[in-house]
Amino acid sequence: MKALAWARANLFATWIDAAITLACIWVVWRFLPPLLDWTIFKAAWLGDDRSACSAGGACWVFIRARFDQFMYGLYPAAQTWRIDIAGALLVILGVWAGWRRLPGKRYAIPAVLVVYPFVGIWLLLGGFGGLPYVETRQWGGLMLTVFMTVYAGIFAFPLGVLLALGRQSNLPVIRTISVAFIEFWRGVPIIAVIFLASLLLPLILPINVDRLIRAVVGLTLVIAAYMAEAIRGGLQAVPKGQYEAAAALGLGYWRATILIVLPQALRISLPALANEFIALSKNTTLVLIVSLFDLLGIVHAASADPKWVGYNVEGYVFAGTIFWFACFAMSRWSASLERRLGAARSH
Amino acid sequence: MTAALRRWFYDARVRAWISQAAVAGAMFGTIWYFVANASENMVKAGIASGFDFLWRTSGIDVPFKIVDYTPQNNIVDLLWVGVANTLLVSLLGMALATILGFLIGIARLSKNFLLRGLATGFVEFVRNIPLLLFVFFWYFGVIRALPPPRDSFGAFDTFFLNNRGLYVPAPTEGHPFAAVSVAFAIGVALFLVLRAWAVKRQAATGKIFPIWAAGTALIVGVPLAAAIVVALTTSWSVPVRGGFNFRGGFVLVPEFVALLAALVTYTAGFVAEVVRGGILAVGKGQKEAAASLGLTPGQTLRLIVVPQALRVMVPPMTSQYLNLLKNSSFGAAIAYPEIVSVFMGSALNATGQAIEIIAITLAIYLVAGLAVSMFMNWYNARIALVTR
Repeated sequence: MKALAWARANLFATWIDAAITLACIWVVWRFLPPLLDWTIFKAAWLGDDRSACSAGGACWVFIRARFDQFMYGLYPAAQTWRIDIAGALLVILGVWAGWRRLPGKRYAIPAVLVVYPFVGIWLLLGGFGGLPYVETRQWGGLMLTVFMTVYAGIFAFPLGVLLALGRQSNLPVIRTISVAFIEFWRGVPIIAVIFLASLLLPLILPINVDRLIRAVVGLTLVIAAYMAEAIRGGLQAVPKGQYEAAAALGLGYWRATILIVLPQALRISLPALANEFIALSKNTTLVLIVSLFDLLGIVHAASADPKWVGYNVEGYVFAGTIFWFACFAMSRWSASLERRLGAARSH
Repeated sequence: MTAALRRWFYDARVRAWISQAAVAGAMFGTIWYFVANASENMVKAGIASGFDFLWRTSGIDVPFKIVDYTPQNNIVDLLWVGVANTLLVSLLGMALATILGFLIGIARLSKNFLLRGLATGFVEFVRNIPLLLFVFFWYFGVIRALPPPRDSFGAFDTFFLNNRGLYVPAPTEGHPFAAVSVAFAIGVALFLVLRAWAVKRQAATGKIFPIWAAGTALIVGVPLAAAIVVALTTSWSVPVRGGFNFRGGFVLVPEFVALLAALVTYTAGFVAEVVRGGILAVGKGQKEAAASLGLTPGQTLRLIVVPQALRVMVPPMTSQYLNLLKNSSFGAAIAYPEIVSVFMGSALNATGQAIEIIAITLAIYLVAGLAVSMFMNWYNARIALVTR
């Protein structure tokens, strides 16, 4: 009876509602079974080559056969444990820094922002401390995606803070430069920035810059500009009394900013920062136009292989699922932060 | 340090000057360093500089264009082909994404459990997947996987969809549909005159004129009538099945169809959230107050809810439109001939003048973005809350 009442209120309240419900049921009934058939029931899961796959379902054998490549690119198979350790370290530090209940935040955040970048580079690139050198040309797959996202984010964060402070500064020259910088990088497409970095960096610097570094520089500039706007929102939300109280205590600009204003502003802007970061981590996929093979790029390239031609949709579904879970988890985290922040501020 | 010097050094104004001079100096120094390196490297690599290359014959063929262009034209004309293609896919994308996004955003607030669930599922799905994946999926997974021309999907024997694109009828010569945009302008002008009259009359006599019905009739009806007249009077080239392919008509290439589909589905997910946020932002008390004033549900929606929701929606919609404009450059990944692909790609390969080409491309995006934000700011100012 309860179920009937619920259905009546939520599905069949009016005639129009009933029609909409029927239409929705028809859509689900029409598309869900074929979709499930394709992905699960008629799909081929086991085997080594395309002979294991049939026409009716997905060919997950393709993913299975190329799995290592999708994760590690062309990284030497004997060395991939280094990527595993770097990844595990990133996850542990990330959880430590991001999960409220864990203690020692004052060590976790510097560990992520300052210590990890060096350890990560050492693990992945090697060349000293007992690890053989692996050139960046062999990097690829999910590992490259994570690397670019994390490093561009870590470099962009301090730059974004400086730009946001610059934009709020009352010194006209500094404000103008910051505004111009932010609006310029926000106004141009990220694909053009990646092109720009890969074409111009070798021209304007006396040394030849690694292809991967060029892409990371391009991404960093764009992410920094977007982060600056998110942080500016936080700076504007800090009550004016806080600035005045800091000045009344005799703190100069830098000490007032670092000790009083920034901690509050960053906490407020954290959800917005996380959202910008999600949006931009999706755009790292664009590096495939300068022939760097991130997760999507390597899946795309593998599906052009004559051995697996025609199975590109399986590849896209695989890459899409990974992106979806990563971005969804981050956005949930950011939403929970936002809720907690809202609750804390309404007291 | 003497006391006077120390006082001078700790003066806030002096400090301001010193720090600004330092920042400006560092910036100009860096730029100068980059320029010096660039000119040295360009001499070394034998790259020419200057903008003369723009008037050279391009020699580049473009498979899809809506302006007249042949490889004998010069590079500026090639640039316009790219600009026109970018604008075509962006403007069409904005219109379609707005419509789809509004529908989904409203569906997310529906009382109907199933409809709400489907809309929420769509939004959560779309927002967490890279746009490039959508582009690839639509291009390689859908359009390229369509049947070949001889097994095309057809509608009314005039529209055909196959793996070489969407074939639509086209007028044999000229641009007769310019008349439709003129008719649209006339319709809008008539509507504005009519509205001024209706407002004046209502103020004087209290009689309400059904301005929205009349306005819709004018704004949609006048151009529609013009379109029908034009369609009936011009001669059409309809796609006809030939040996292996179609002849006649106009082909919307697969790249265009796929990019448009990807941009629309992706952006609609974000527009839906904006719409939902805007509608939720209108307080319940507003609707109750309107009902107690005796406004009908239709009037409440039109006069109370929509104007307030729009005010909240305009700034985030602006950034969605700007994103779509910039995201049209994803076409470069599937060789849709938009600005980045024809200019930063083909023209740069042909001429090698990276700095000039990059500067022009970025300038075009900045100007186009500025135009969109100026329009939206003007609109925002028009609908903004006027307080005393």
